[in-house]
Amino acid sequence: MSGLFPSDAAGVVGTWVAALLTIVVFGRIFGERRVFALAQYLLAGLATGYLAVLAVREVLIPRLVGPLLGDAGAHLALWLALPLVVAMVGVGYLPRRVAAVPVALLVGGIAAFALGGAVVGTVLPQLAAGIVAPGGTGTVVNGLVALIISALVLVSFVHGVPRRRVTAAAAAGGRWLVIGGLGAWLGYLLVSRLTLVVDRIGFLAFDWFGIGR
Amino acid sequence: MTDLRWRRSPAGLAAIALLAALGVAVLVGSPGGLQLANPNRTAVTQFRSALAAIPADGMVLVAFDPDIGTYPEIRFAVRSALDDLLGRGNGLAIVSYTAEGRALALAEIERLVGHGAPSSRVLDLGFRTGGEAALVGSVTSIVPDAATGPLADALRARGGGLGAFNLALIVAGVDLGPRSWVEQVGTRVPGLPLAAMTPTTLRPELEPYMASGQLAALLGTLRDNAGYASSLQTPVGDRPPSSLAILVGMLAALVVLLQAGSRGIGARVRRAVTGRERW
Repeated sequence: MSGLFPSDAAGVVGTWVAALLTIVVFGRIFGERRVFALAQYLLAGLATGYLAVLAVREVLIPRLVGPLLGDAGAHLALWLALPLVVAMVGVGYLPRRVAAVPVALLVGGIAAFALGGAVVGTVLPQLAAGIVAPGGTGTVVNGLVALIISALVLVSFVHGVPRRRVTAAAAAGGRWLVIGGLGAWLGYLLVSRLTLVVDRIGFLAFDWFGIGR
Repeated sequence: MTDLRWRRSPAGLAAIALLAALGVAVLVGSPGGLQLANPNRTAVTQFRSALAAIPADGMVLVAFDPDIGTYPEIRFAVRSALDDLLGRGNGLAIVSYTAEGRALALAEIERLVGHGAPSSRVLDLGFRTGGEAALVGSVTSIVPDAATGPLADALRARGGGLGAFNLALIVAGVDLGPRSWVEQVGTRVPGLPLAAMTPTTLRPELEPYMASGQLAALLGTLRDNAGYASSLQTPVGDRPPSSLAILVGMLAALVVLLQAGSRGIGARVRRAVTGRERW
């Protein structure tokens, strides 16, 4: 059971609405397109509304408006944030040079955090962990296999440089390894999506229809 | 408008047949011999060890950021873990960094409180916007000003940042997951153990962090999550997906793969026979 709905009246209504919408979505398999499209619009509308409510209730009011109205003098940094928020809201209507400021700050901040974190948190520790300490034959073989795969895949990403026969063969091998990796990842993704379908069928059978309750 | 051509086409009929087969398999459940739980208990043992290392009155940060598309895969195990932690006497502070995660966190908090979890040991830290920047901000301050109660007070007394916790349990989806935690938090608060529960699709990305010791524990497959849930004695009112249904779906996927592969090979053979392609 999903257990996402309580057993009170609101929970019963929620279960019925969710069950009917699940049936509508499954109806696409039976060739029903129009009602399915309505469910899609409903999802898009609800998601947009939810995001708006979340932004207002959990971000703008408690972290910007509330502190400024409460003690404006103690939150000088928020006065700087205020025009940025206003500029982001009106980004479609403002001159490009004005709108570019908050967008540039946003993109620059995201890139700085992501790149810095990737280098310090992933590249360097993984390089250190990738150094194979002397050990048993299995460890050395594993390390060698990892080294060869990494090298071939990296060669496959080398573009714009004249390739000789050996390099071209290595790049082709690297490309096949990338494709193999993507295939394996799609297999993992299949498990997640399959579980989602099975969960929905289980929701209809157990939560809504009441089998085994 | 009903598309009758689709319904009567081989693909349409196959999709309907698959849905029906999955429905029957879900009702049958998990017959004996089709065990969903992974018989290799390494991941479960590591996860339980990470939980057991928390002191009796320790505080656990639950970073609740699954997404709606993959949460059913780990939901039963996440509920088991939350109940397990509460049963050990730990306090849970729940925070979300994604909008989808916040929606699911609210539902789970309501479920926990509805099932009698003491409000003194469950603290809602709310939603923090900003992705990885918000993670970095949480290092020094994660308790909102409006938060009240013994757990909020205890966290403030310990500094109010991520260092106040004994463990961060990352319930992840495909958006902001354990990789971001390792990169942004693991490097800044190295003393905070990071344990993760994730859908299978994240497993390839996270395996290296386990090998390097940057993650203390990882339940990264449906089978590992099922193994953990089955290792606990207390049922949580949620059930893992039917193993028979998963098997039926896998077989259907294999048939689709073989059909696509045979088509490709057949086309190549035809081109080779007609002399338009060299082998």
